Amino acid sequence: MIENLFAEIAKQNVSEDAWNWLEEKSALLNKDTNATQLNAAFTAVPRKMGKQIIEISAGQAKKIDTLLTGFSIQGWTTDRLARVWLLMNLKGTEKDDYIRKIENLFKAAEMNELVALYSSLPLLAYPEAWQFRCTEGIRSNIGIVLEAIMYENPYPSKYLDEPAWNQMVLKAFFTDKNVERITGLDKRANKRLASILFDYAHERWAAHRSVNPQLWRLVGKFIDENNFSDIQKLFNDGNPSEKKAAALALSESDFMPAKNLLNQTANLKNAIQEKTLSWNSLVKEMKNFSSN
Amino acid sequence: MNFMSHDPLKREKEVAESFISVDLQNIKGMQFFDPHVHMTSRTTDDYQSMADAGIVGLIEPAFWLGQPRTGIDTFRDYYSSLIGWERFRASQFGIKHYCTIGLNSREANNEKLAEEVMELLPLFIYKEGVVGVGEIGFDDQTPAEEKYYRLQLELAKEANLPVQIHTPHRDKKRGTQRSMDIAIELGLDPYMVIVDHNNEETVHEVLERGFWAAFTIYPFTKMGNERMVEIVKQYGTERIMVNSAADWGISDPLAVPKTASLMKLRGINDENIRMVTYQNAITAFGQSGQIDKADFTLVKEIDQSKKFAGNTILRGGQQPRIDKSSIIIS
Repeated sequence: MIENLFAEIAKQNVSEDAWNWLEEKSALLNKDTNATQLNAAFTAVPRKMGKQIIEISAGQAKKIDTLLTGFSIQGWTTDRLARVWLLMNLKGTEKDDYIRKIENLFKAAEMNELVALYSSLPLLAYPEAWQFRCTEGIRSNIGIVLEAIMYENPYPSKYLDEPAWNQMVLKAFFTDKNVERITGLDKRANKRLASILFDYAHERWAAHRSVNPQLWRLVGKFIDENNFSDIQKLFNDGNPSEKKAAALALSESDFMPAKNLLNQTANLKNAIQEKTLSWNSLVKEMKNFSSN
Repeated sequence: MNFMSHDPLKREKEVAESFISVDLQNIKGMQFFDPHVHMTSRTTDDYQSMADAGIVGLIEPAFWLGQPRTGIDTFRDYYSSLIGWERFRASQFGIKHYCTIGLNSREANNEKLAEEVMELLPLFIYKEGVVGVGEIGFDDQTPAEEKYYRLQLELAKEANLPVQIHTPHRDKKRGTQRSMDIAIELGLDPYMVIVDHNNEETVHEVLERGFWAAFTIYPFTKMGNERMVEIVKQYGTERIMVNSAADWGISDPLAVPKTASLMKLRGINDENIRMVTYQNAITAFGQSGQIDKADFTLVKEIDQSKKFAGNTILRGGQQPRIDKSSIIIS
């Protein structure tokens, strides 16, 4: 059970007093007819639990990923974990009541509370009830809120429809997010998104602005006669990272001219086949470059 | 611009330095805290110049928006913006944003709505970074204003939060006295109460009765900073603080650093300047348990790491600098 695992992790990261407080509050949640206990406990969490970054073992991280694929609490703070754990302990037997209580938390939330609330989406009852809420969060311009939805959160890829999903991915590029941390990114690549991303790249080029090479990981399967020239241009005239990104995109395409183009560079093609060049290796390479 | 460095980090520093006007050079390196400023009404340019001038933290009191609200939801959204969007906006410029939450005196006169606001307040006053109940007090000094002032003092007492009192423009001296009388009658510790918008006529009694005295440096209608220098010379620095109360009127978000600069020119020593432009406000509102000085550097460090990591913007991104001396916008 994931809530037991969260409890175990929370316990090892805070003092005994703090843990006892949280356990006590969580027990009160479901005895309450209105939301008073929930509101008070949810708000008071950082005062009692602190805000330090949690430590979790590799085994625990792996277990979380097994229980909920694509989910990670790496880098979370103690208040975030405690808030999410509180929400997991709220019983959802009365649907309307449950939804109203959580919606009210959203309405009066400060920044860190929003982060916890959006992080909890994949763990809440009635997952289909939070679709609109999730799209509202994507409209936010608060960086940490966007990241709570985008990074290692399996909710969007599982529950958003295609337009909303595409909107989120595009917003991630627009706001310079680490798109590779979006759960389900490659799996939910689609033709419509690829076409939007090509347009976006054109706009960036027209403005003499750079394009994140990770963008091309979402277009490979959709290369056709209409957009091939863009990939060609990237492959021939791009900087080294862009050239690698173009090669990776080409390697994912069944379009014959794309295959032929890739065949022109044996070294990149081999690197891809030997997996020394991948989208993830490209991310690492670029990070090393920018921190030097 | 040609004289700017090509190294983006160096250039950033140069641009930042060029923003500090000659007048503020004498306080360069000092840190300031503005305990009363309505950033919701200000532009990003203000945030930038405030950060450049050394403001590391500020408090935004909940107040009147220039026209009356007509429903409870706009109150909720306003409070929620103070702990959400505005807090984030400040962090993008490396400034730590706190707020006080309350029903302002003008809107206390709409009793039906005021009742609903009173129900809403407990949802917000316990939030992280809420350092007091404010700004509350008297405007017209009507019975309704008194009623909700009292109720909110009770609320602050129960929550163990400081109170930020707005004193009226008209009939100021009596309004200030009355505000203090009621606070004492209800058993509040004067050391938990910050009486705002003082002047030469009110300061003596406020300090003598053990309250904190805040002074608003606001052109034309409130204090000028030359008068402020004289106040500090006369009363010293104990329980005295300076703020800008900058809002949608003609006001100055740099009032605190400018006053510090003037104090320095007029021979007040650095430690005394630090008390009235930084430390006292933090001591007073810090009684909420919600101010951690480490956050002042943290909010900057987080932003720095974003920039140093180049394309890796970890936390939503600090606003990039624009070169305002150039006509090129890119």
